[in-house]
Amino acid sequence: MEDQQKVLVVDHEKCTGCRLCELVCSVHHTGSSNPSRARIKVVKWEHVGIYLPMICNHCEKAYCVEVCPTKACHRETDNNNRVVIDKNLCIGCRTCIVACPFGHPFFDVQERVTVKCDFCDGDPKCVAFCDPKAVTYVDADMIQMAKKREAANKFIDSTKQIR
Amino acid sequence: MATEYIHPIRNVRYLRPQREWKEIIAIYLYLAGMGAGSYVIGTLLNWFVHPTRVLSIWGLPLDFAKAAILWGPILVAIGAPFLIIDLGIKRRFLYACLNPRTSWVARGFLILSIFIVFGLILLAKSVLPFEWLHAESTFWTIAEVITIAFAFATALYTGILLKATKSIPLWNTYLLPLLFLVSALSTGSMAIILSTLGTGLLSNDSGALKLLMRGEQILVVIEGIVLYLFLFKRYRAAEQGKDSVRLLLSGKLKLIFWGGIVLLGFVFPMILESIASLFHGNVTLIFTAGLLLLCGGFFLRLGVLHAGIKDQLPMLRLMEIQYDNMAERWKPLSDNRREATGNTK
Repeated sequence: MEDQQKVLVVDHEKCTGCRLCELVCSVHHTGSSNPSRARIKVVKWEHVGIYLPMICNHCEKAYCVEVCPTKACHRETDNNNRVVIDKNLCIGCRTCIVACPFGHPFFDVQERVTVKCDFCDGDPKCVAFCDPKAVTYVDADMIQMAKKREAANKFIDSTKQIR
Repeated sequence: MATEYIHPIRNVRYLRPQREWKEIIAIYLYLAGMGAGSYVIGTLLNWFVHPTRVLSIWGLPLDFAKAAILWGPILVAIGAPFLIIDLGIKRRFLYACLNPRTSWVARGFLILSIFIVFGLILLAKSVLPFEWLHAESTFWTIAEVITIAFAFATALYTGILLKATKSIPLWNTYLLPLLFLVSALSTGSMAIILSTLGTGLLSNDSGALKLLMRGEQILVVIEGIVLYLFLFKRYRAAEQGKDSVRLLLSGKLKLIFWGGIVLLGFVFPMILESIASLFHGNVTLIFTAGLLLLCGGFFLRLGVLHAGIKDQLPMLRLMEIQYDNMAERWKPLSDNRREATGNTK
C-alpha cells in the first residue's frame, strides 16, 4: 500500500479547451482567478482543434530536484512520491525552470518564487472540475487502462465481424 | 530567416530560446570568468617575474605592482552580487549553498566564495609589506597554488553551470566549460596586459610583456578554434542544436555573434595588435585592441545565453503525428470543397 502512487493522466483527445482546470487551479493555490498563475496550462492548436493540458510529470529522475541549490524542490517519498517546491526555501533562481525538459515550473511574479504542480495535497482540483475527464488522477500502474479498454473493445468488435 | 514559413506545430519551439537567464547572468558569467582568468595569469606573472613597485601612502609602503596584477578576485566579488540581483527573493541568497550534493549552483556558491576569500587575503598579503606576514614562506605558496586551482574551478564552473541544466542541447556539452575557460584565460590575460601597461609596470619593450602578448595571442587563437568546434558539434546535437546555432549565425542573434563575438572579439584585436607590433607597441592601439577583446568576451556569454533553445518534447512529436494524421484526413475534404466551389487556388 505504501508504494501505491497516484499520478495525473492527460487524454488530449477528450480535452475541449475550456480551461476550467486553469481557473480552479489558480483559485485553489493563489486565491485569485488568474490562469497565468495556474500550475496546469492548456496548450491549444485552434486551427486543428488539438488541446493539450500540460502537467507536471513528477519525474522519477527529476532534473528540477537535482539542480535546486536550496533543496526547496524536493521529493516527498511519504506523500505520493510527489516533487514539490517548498515556498519558504525557494530563492527564485529559476534554475529548475531552465532544467525542466517539459517547461513546467514557472516564476510567479507576485510571490517572487518558482511554483509547480503539487497534486493539491492529494485531491487535484483540475481533476475534480474536468467534466470530459481529460485529466484524471489514477494509480500509476493503471495509467493506460482507459486506452487499453478502448483498444480491447475495438478488438472484440473486429473479431465479432470475422466470426 | 524572417521569411521562412514557421510551421505552427513542427516549428513551435524554433524561435523561442529560454528567457529565464538574461543579461544580468551574462554580466556575472563574464566578470567571474575574466576575474578568475586574470588571477591565474597574474599569479603566474608574479611567480616568474616578481614585479614590485613600492609606493608610500600615508607613511605605509604598499606594493602597487602586486595590486596591479592580482586584482582578479575583486572583479569576481563585483560579479557575484549580479547573481543575487537576479534572484526572486534576494534576502534568501544564503540558502543557495544548501545542496552541494547534486546542485551545481550550490557548488558554485561554495567555489566562488572560497576563491574570493582566499584571493582577497592573498592580494592583501602581497600588497601590505608587514614583516610578520612572512610573505615568501611556503605557507603562502601553498595558499597561492590552492587559489589558482579554485580560479580554474571558477572559470570552468561558469560553463558547467549551463551544462548542468541538461535540457538545452546547445549547452549540454563539455566543450562549453572548455570554451568559457579559454575565453576567461584570454580575456584575463588581455586585462593583465592592459593593467601592466596602464600602470607602467612592464615597459613597452620588456621581454615579459612580449611573452604575455604572445601568450595572449595564442590563447585567442585557441579560443577561436574551440568556438568553431563548439558550434560545429552543437549543430548536430538533437533537433534544437541546429536551431540554436542557426539563431546565432543567421538568425536574430547574428549581430551579437558576427559583430560582437567575431569582429570585436577576434578580428579587430588581431588586426590592431599586428599594426601595433609594426609601430613598436603603440600603447593606444594595444589599449583599443584590449578593450575590444574584453567586449567580445562579454558578447560570447550573452550570445550563448540568448541562444539556448530547449530540446523538443516527446509530446510535441505526438502532436506532429496527430497533426499530420488530421491533415491527411482533411485533405480529401478540402480538395472536394475546392472543386465544388470552382476555386483553383
